[in-house]
Amino acid sequence: MDILVCVKQVPDPETKLRVAPSGKSFDTDGVKFTINNTYDEAMVEEALRMKEEFGFTALRVISVGPPRAEEALRSALAMGADEAVLVETPADLPLDPLLVARYIAAAAKDIPHDLVMVGRQAQDDEAGVVGSALGEYLDLPSYSFVTDLAPVPANHLLKMKRYVEGGEEVFSAPFPAVLSILKGAKDPRTPTLPNILKARKKPLKKIPAKDLEAKVSALQGGAKPTSDILAFTLPPPRAGAKMIEFQTPEEAAERLIKLLKEEARVL
Amino acid sequence: MTLNVLVITDQREGHLKPSSLEAISEARSVVERSGGGSVTIGLIGSGLAEAQKEAKSQGVQRVLLADHESFKGFSAAAYAFAAERMAAKLSAPLAIFLPDTAMGRELAPRLGAKLGAGTATAVVEIQPGASGGLQIKRKVFGGKATETVNLLGTVVLSLRPNSFAIHPAPAGDPPVEPVEVGELPASAKGLAVERVISTRGDTPELTEAPIVVSGGRGLKTAENFVLVENLAKELGAAVGSSRAVVDAGWRPASYQVGQTGKIIAPQLYIACGISGAIQHLVGITNSRCIVAINKDPAAPIFKVADYGVAGDALTILPALTSLVARNKGA
Ligand SMILES: Cc1cc2nc3c(=O)[nH]c(=O)nc-3n(C[C@H](O)[C@H](O)[C@H](O)COP(=O)(O)OP(=O)(O)OC[C@H]3O[C@@H](n4cnc5c(N)ncnc54)[C@H](O)[C@@H]3O)c2cc1C
Repeated sequence: MDILVCVKQVPDPETKLRVAPSGKSFDTDGVKFTINNTYDEAMVEEALRMKEEFGFTALRVISVGPPRAEEALRSALAMGADEAVLVETPADLPLDPLLVARYIAAAAKDIPHDLVMVGRQAQDDEAGVVGSALGEYLDLPSYSFVTDLAPVPANHLLKMKRYVEGGEEVFSAPFPAVLSILKGAKDPRTPTLPNILKARKKPLKKIPAKDLEAKVSALQGGAKPTSDILAFTLPPPRAGAKMIEFQTPEEAAERLIKLLKEEARVL
Repeated sequence: MTLNVLVITDQREGHLKPSSLEAISEARSVVERSGGGSVTIGLIGSGLAEAQKEAKSQGVQRVLLADHESFKGFSAAAYAFAAERMAAKLSAPLAIFLPDTAMGRELAPRLGAKLGAGTATAVVEIQPGASGGLQIKRKVFGGKATETVNLLGTVVLSLRPNSFAIHPAPAGDPPVEPVEVGELPASAKGLAVERVISTRGDTPELTEAPIVVSGGRGLKTAENFVLVENLAKELGAAVGSSRAVVDAGWRPASYQVGQTGKIIAPQLYIACGISGAIQHLVGITNSRCIVAINKDPAAPIFKVADYGVAGDALTILPALTSLVARNKGA
């Protein structure tokens, strides 16, 4: 019983964003990339729990990205993943989230997967597209916004809770499947130094994106992106809060409500 | 360029959610701005009599219906299969709109993948492209940047709640046409919903409410959290919380806003006794207007807030509540 977790390396959330000369993306020059998308770290942690508590045997991680994305995979290995696969994309390869999902699907044909787990979205593009699109490309069911996960491996069944507007649904559904978890049972562990060292020796396979192109082309949508970013713009930064002067709580309330009505026009 | 838009609505609770009405209204508007075309509502689910009536009064040209037992629980695979059948009834150029609810966010990418469509989620603005297709805007990097994306061919979009106005629907009496979905694929079978735990009571849904009032550890006790709820009630707002409140057991996890909770974008967010940790901020930065009430003038929440009250939430909240109540009476 094998788990495949998809991870993405993203810029440090504290990074000061600048627009690239093309005007179509952020400038990666001088940007510190964090090791992992925090939503993906949560997924690695939940996958480790599946291994520790429900008898899943192997945990592999996969990323589609430039050579530096190896750091993200090493970090997942240091958390406890067993093996890693990097689909290496050249800098000039146009990609959109659906095409990333096609590359993962193409690579996953040769990687055993009873559970495919993805973070709810990437911190940078906030698309949240890869998970359920992977379900389609791999012809598997997908379950998203899961808040509680308990597999019954003998029946190939997952007992789950998921977030819905207004509450939670308690449901069960079969696996193999693609899963996206809103909130894992535990906060992601921080890799220990010995585990970081061990991770350097764990198997990491690199597949050049062009080796997968034929398989990707065979999937609906093909080898080209179906969306195209025309512009990446930064709104003027928030000026910081307008602080309300007051002597009494009543005065604070009066002034705030007046501003919300007359200036912000949100009441 | 004319455009045909299919709106797949979310009526998980039997009725069209406000976010679905926003998507329908925006569909009518985009069609008009495209120089004509049609809007079709696609209803997928089980027991849709009420939703059908609501859909008919939305000023659209057609209503397509897949009302069947096998759509009782939401399965993205099953719903995408039905939606594809519906899309096949409409001619190109075609766009499919969904609300960016839990259902819509999962269904849109799957449908986009199925159709090989240009796909975008959490869209906040839609314009017809100069040479066909649609141009959309979406927020990225926790609201710090905006992407303008061009989508050609068939387009699938999920529309962020609270970002599009609901305009009054013109009169009309569209036909309701049942769609023969046929045998579902294996991946669309076997999902069984056991029960639904409602955590909302009679307050609006956090992810859809135009106003959200949220409380944090600064409220000191579970009892004091009622002060947040009282203000929310007067404002007709939803109630949220920081994780500290959930961890302390004051309120259930469904209240939590942020990285491991809900990501919301109301018109107005009022944070009371919340410090503004990055994990909380990622859930709220797309809000139109943020108000912070915090007794520490150096709290990080004031950096992202539009209006700040450096003071005691325990006294300011009741003052706000009675003022709002008085204004309503006036
Ligand atoms: C992996 C991970 C995921 C996380 N996910 C989330 C998440 O999804 N959502 C989330 O919220 N947090 C999340 N957190 C936790 C986050 O880091 C903070 O710990 C949390 O948001 C703090 O909650 P708080 O602001 O209520 O409490 P505190 O940080 O303790 O802040 C309390 C604030 O109240 C103010 N205060 C005190 N008394 C008063 C008073 N009388 N009147 C007014 N103000 C007062 C204080 O000045 C202070 O600023 C996550 C953390 C981790 C590690």
